[in-house]
Amino acid sequence: MDELREPYRILLADDDQAITNHLAPFLERAGFAVTVAGDGEAALHRLDEVKPDLIVLDVLMPRLDGREALRRLRRANDWTPVILLTQVGAPAERALALDEGADDYLNKPFEPFELLARIRAVLRRSHAGTPSLAGAHRLSCGPLSLDRQSRRVTLEGHELALTAKAVAVLEYLMLHPDEVLARERLLDAVWGWDYPAATRAVDSRIAELRRLLHDDAEAPQFIETLVGQGYRFIGRVRAEA
Amino acid sequence: MRRFILPLLPLAAGLACAVALQAGLSPNPILYARVDAGTLLALAGLLASLLWAAGTALWALAGRHEGQALAQARLAQAEAHRRFLRRLDHELKNPLTAIRAGLANLPAPQGDPVLASVRSQVDRLVRLTADLRKLAELEVQPLEEEKVDLGDLLAELAEVAADRPDAEARHLRLSLPQAPWPLPHVLGDRDLLFLALHNLLDNAFKYSRPGDTVEIRAFEDGATVAVEVADTGPGIADEDLPHLGEELYRGRAPSGVEGSGLGLALVRAIVARQQGTVTIRSRLGQGTAVTLRLPVAR
Repeated sequence: MDELREPYRILLADDDQAITNHLAPFLERAGFAVTVAGDGEAALHRLDEVKPDLIVLDVLMPRLDGREALRRLRRANDWTPVILLTQVGAPAERALALDEGADDYLNKPFEPFELLARIRAVLRRSHAGTPSLAGAHRLSCGPLSLDRQSRRVTLEGHELALTAKAVAVLEYLMLHPDEVLARERLLDAVWGWDYPAATRAVDSRIAELRRLLHDDAEAPQFIETLVGQGYRFIGRVRAEA
Repeated sequence: MRRFILPLLPLAAGLACAVALQAGLSPNPILYARVDAGTLLALAGLLASLLWAAGTALWALAGRHEGQALAQARLAQAEAHRRFLRRLDHELKNPLTAIRAGLANLPAPQGDPVLASVRSQVDRLVRLTADLRKLAELEVQPLEEEKVDLGDLLAELAEVAADRPDAEARHLRLSLPQAPWPLPHVLGDRDLLFLALHNLLDNAFKYSRPGDTVEIRAFEDGATVAVEVADTGPGIADEDLPHLGEELYRGRAPSGVEGSGLGLALVRAIVARQQGTVTIRSRLGQGTAVTLRLPVAR
């Protein structure tokens, strides 16, 4: 993001002033221009005036909650990148956040530096002109295809017998192509916990995916291992309606 | 069964009398003119039987109703408890998010000891909210049921434990049966079982001292597999034992041991979801053994 000429504009919507009072200056110090809105309605109102490059939306807000604001945004065919700040950590809810067109989501209470990393990753993707994957019903990469509604994965047209967790891991990887995803982050996103000792659960699902995708860990076509860092989806992902 | 047979007694008695009368064992000339006494007695017996049966049925129905009411009350209580956990979790999250953002803004130099200490305390609270959330989720989240190779899981657990900084000072032993056959698979969610057993092992390490022994063992026991995590640590006082596994309960544990007080509650919740049981044996000054019993996969 060094080639930046003018700062990216971020619209930050959260009804808790204790959070926005600290978070806005933090993001400003990181080089962003930040506008704060107190709820979803206020956020939608200020869209035309602010023209944000990215919106950070809290889920639980009075008047118009983050999820409904996101739905209205997408219904109006506005694909401004959105990061949802989720409260209820249930995995179903997280999957929903992605289904409804969020580009990423973060569980409260998050590390501000983590939010910064997510903002940069989402902006990098949209800056590179990559069409948003957020609203896609189907994600595909070469012979591989993942239907997000039916949770079915096919390789060259043949359906793969994957566990539900493996499908969720693959979905998360494909939604964040080219991003290094630490095991802890995958655990948090898919399993709903990030106990360090449990990171092997991630490894065994990756092994399951590789086995069924015929992906060679040494010369991967889809999932690359970065020793000591995590995993990265290296294929080019396309969104299909 | 008996309460359904008993109401038939009057009928049987009435019929027996009727048979006896008809056989002329005890002739009754006065009643004989209109209705014979045997028929009368049989009818009376039938009536009494019907009344008795109706009473028994009503009694059973009322009892079941009471049982249902009790079960419903328990369900409502569990639901209220879950709601409370969710609210507590929710109320902690926003302030913690604000504190973390505030800390990130502080101009203090890297490695400042005061800041580091505050950060680590905040992290502790964050872990607590994560555990609370997990507890609330556990009761409702769909389980991924599969056949789990416990032997394989326990070996992995021991490997992870061996990497702990305090592992060198403990004698960690894993014993798995091979004869007459290896452990049968159990039915459950492997990742959750791993988490539960990891919590137990973590406790065994945290509450034991250098030089202590920690053992993991498993054996087949009828329709269940018993998994035990035992240590030669300080043990648990009798009066603390019944409260272990209550959320946030911390017995008079050796000071300086960090924990959320939710570890064992999580273990119980996970094992209960998989139709298993948790039992604890402990003697002060000798050590503790926690046993999980899980149903064998057929």
